[in-house]
Amino acid sequence: MLKPSDDRLIAYLDGELDESERAAIAHWLEHDGELRERAALLGESAAALRAAFDEVLREPLPERLIAAARGAGAAVVELSAARSRRWNRVLGGPRWWVGIAAAASFAAFAIGFGLGGGEVTLPGAPETARVAPGAELVSDTFPDNLAGYYKRYVTVNPGDATSFDKLPQNFHLPNLKPWGLDFQGARFLMVEGQPATALVYTTSNQALGPVIVVVANSGKPDETVRFARSSDINVLRWRHHGHAYALAGTANANYLWNIHNDLAYQFDGI
Amino acid sequence: MSVSVSDQLIAVLPRMRRFARGLTGSAVEADDLVQAACERALSRAHQFQEGTRFDSWMFRIVQTIWIDQLRARDTRREEAEDEGMHVGTDEPGRRAEARLALQEVRNALRELPPEQRVALLLVTVDGLSYKEAAEVAEVPVGTIMSRLARARVALQAKLDAGSGLRRRTQDAEAE
Repeated sequence: MLKPSDDRLIAYLDGELDESERAAIAHWLEHDGELRERAALLGESAAALRAAFDEVLREPLPERLIAAARGAGAAVVELSAARSRRWNRVLGGPRWWVGIAAAASFAAFAIGFGLGGGEVTLPGAPETARVAPGAELVSDTFPDNLAGYYKRYVTVNPGDATSFDKLPQNFHLPNLKPWGLDFQGARFLMVEGQPATALVYTTSNQALGPVIVVVANSGKPDETVRFARSSDINVLRWRHHGHAYALAGTANANYLWNIHNDLAYQFDGI
Repeated sequence: MSVSVSDQLIAVLPRMRRFARGLTGSAVEADDLVQAACERALSRAHQFQEGTRFDSWMFRIVQTIWIDQLRARDTRREEAEDEGMHVGTDEPGRRAEARLALQEVRNALRELPPEQRVALLLVTVDGLSYKEAAEVAEVPVGTIMSRLARARVALQAKLDAGSGLRRRTQDAEAE
């Protein structure tokens, strides 16, 4: 075999050659220092190129793109863009969460929760949802440690969102499947003295872990999203149009920011 | 609107943004491009063939819209500011230098012909096979292979021209 040309060498580095060609080029590389150096340089430039664009994957998704992916009309996109600009001001500034006493914020988040009652009003729904009697759960997963205050559990068959019939019919469950999250169940809580619902999602990705979405009625004014972190749990909280929201999980902050953008869009429509 | 298409769109958004960022060299233009691609995908969801790769279909849509835009402009784009990746002036020197190296890589990519850029972004950045990239670009595999080779050699030459680039890029990767 002749000395490999650049395109064959690159195809070799990309794993695109058949076994016989691979073996031939491997033989050349073993005996030709100049070719080895060439292969190393090409490998480095490829790694540099990947590194140059990896950053994009870690950026929070703009809300307008989530809206576009969900088929939002122009009006919704416009509204979303305004919200996005507001959040971008927060995100685009200095590392705003640095200096926040994360533990204190987190404690405030937790203290806001109280004992759940038997019947609650769900956001955007005048009806009440009856809690399954005696359906208390005990576990040592982080949502429970986070709260330690939920006492009731909506009866749903795990993995079967269609059995979500204990909640008001017009309560639309946020769809987080694009993020690899499956809805598992809901709990009733009290947040800021108001009834709230905690939606629990899990994923098969051990690196991400479960995510909890809390939705509550709130008489307080709108509040831009805030980030807090404590004991390896990241929490995003915000208020919008009479509702208070929280998103908590052990996953990294960027992943949660993306889910938050999607949730904010979905909740606008709920 | 197909719900499943929406879900798949959201899942592939980060990669579409990366692909579009590489094509356009601009964060804003890239997001505009991705948004247009989402809208087109939803309006033509019936054209998606079940059993084929959704991400490849989306890359093809992004590429098609971008090529159309390039043709419409009929001009070489000016040096675009890379809004999403600008170098912070208050960063520590070593980190700023590393980011500068990555910016040089992006600039080098931007100097390549569009078809070479597409090949590099699909194969080298996104990890598609030559066959998959050929399907996205709608060209034979051999064409992808030769475009890729020319692109990799040209990129290598441009990076070699940057002094100390290799060390700074390694720093950036380490971060």
